[in-house]
Amino acid sequence: MTPEQLLYSKTHEWVHVETDSSGTKTATVGLSAFALDLLTDLVFVELPEVGRAVSAGEPFGEIESVKAVSDLYSPVDGQIAEVNGPIVEKLETLAEDPYGAGWLVKIKVSDDAGLADLFAFAAYRKQCEEESQH
Amino acid sequence: MPNVLLLNVSGASSKTRWQLLIDPPRPGAWNMAVDQVLLQQAAAQGRCCCRFYQWSEPTVSLGYFQRIADRREHTASMACPIVRRLTGGGAIVHDVELTYSLAVPGGHPLAIRRNTLYQTVHGSLIRTLAELGIDAALYKTQSVQKGGIASEAQPPQAESHRQPFLCFQRRSVGDVLLDAAKIAGSAQRRRRGAVLQHGSVLLRRSRMAPEVLGIEELTKKKVALDDLLRVWRDMLGKCLAADWQEEPLRDQQRDEVAGLAENRYVSDRWNEHRDRPPQKYSFRLF
Repeated sequence: MTPEQLLYSKTHEWVHVETDSSGTKTATVGLSAFALDLLTDLVFVELPEVGRAVSAGEPFGEIESVKAVSDLYSPVDGQIAEVNGPIVEKLETLAEDPYGAGWLVKIKVSDDAGLADLFAFAAYRKQCEEESQH
Repeated sequence: MPNVLLLNVSGASSKTRWQLLIDPPRPGAWNMAVDQVLLQQAAAQGRCCCRFYQWSEPTVSLGYFQRIADRREHTASMACPIVRRLTGGGAIVHDVELTYSLAVPGGHPLAIRRNTLYQTVHGSLIRTLAELGIDAALYKTQSVQKGGIASEAQPPQAESHRQPFLCFQRRSVGDVLLDAAKIAGSAQRRRRGAVLQHGSVLLRRSRMAPEVLGIEELTKKKVALDDLLRVWRDMLGKCLAADWQEEPLRDQQRDEVAGLAENRYVSDRWNEHRDRPPQKYSFRLF
């Protein structure tokens, strides 16, 4: 997956939605390279258990960089279908491969209305550039 | 004067209105509840706030991800009440210190990059201490630069749960040091773009944490809390281009603080939730 193929939230999560043959949508969610750069040294991530209901715009997990705790936000309504458990013990994967092996959760989408609030890559890049100017 | 980073982050000649709270000593649960309410206020109302506060008795605050069981590593503070913070990092024994918090809304220049707020606050503290005759410096992992940037005192540690229990025995970039000893550190919580940063300045060693030295032991100089507060408030105001407005919490906010203190910050459910299976406990701030 390349960054250009993904959608992005204002809170720096990236999202990739796939639809299977039955029409079920699954959103894979991770953190953008820009966000990981802002967070700097990661020390801990807490991800939800499989099966937990999540809501668009609400936290599904937490991440701690050196002394800063930040929330991870769901872009859609749905249920946690899969969690990338290995990264909890191997946080460097997040920075090394943020758009591949560094994914965080997969969400079985029940309502994809939240996707309308996401940005395409170009718009997200513009947001990042604006934030970088500060 | 140390050559430290001193930012006027507003980038404008006009001052920004900041709420200023100077609170008397209060219990840990109340203190943490106030900081949460200020973060909520920043996120929901876009309001900047600076608060200086103290603790009514020596209290251990745990970093958000620390296990309460780990306090057994630190026998000197076992008699202290304990409260879990919203912010990360290591445990602090709050005793003879000045504590501060800043709440900044999302989109504010201070809220975007973690280091900006750290550097601004800690830079202002170093200048404040310089005015009080104390030569402190920022911790930096690499180069050595006298007069503002400290040399590497010890390598940064890896994961937080493998670090020393006490915050003041850890080092991270931006901490405030006197020689190799950390005398001030801060931690952040980010919510919907808003940031809460709070931290402590150690004035004197606590008998509840005798291994951690304060300014008095390190410099043989006594710094009165009121003097530090007065000079730092003015210096921080300059650095933030802040127009301080001393405003107490509104009645509704005080009710909210009281509710959070009672229902969250004194509860075992909150304070022990890192020691229990996480799926049983779910907390939502807003």
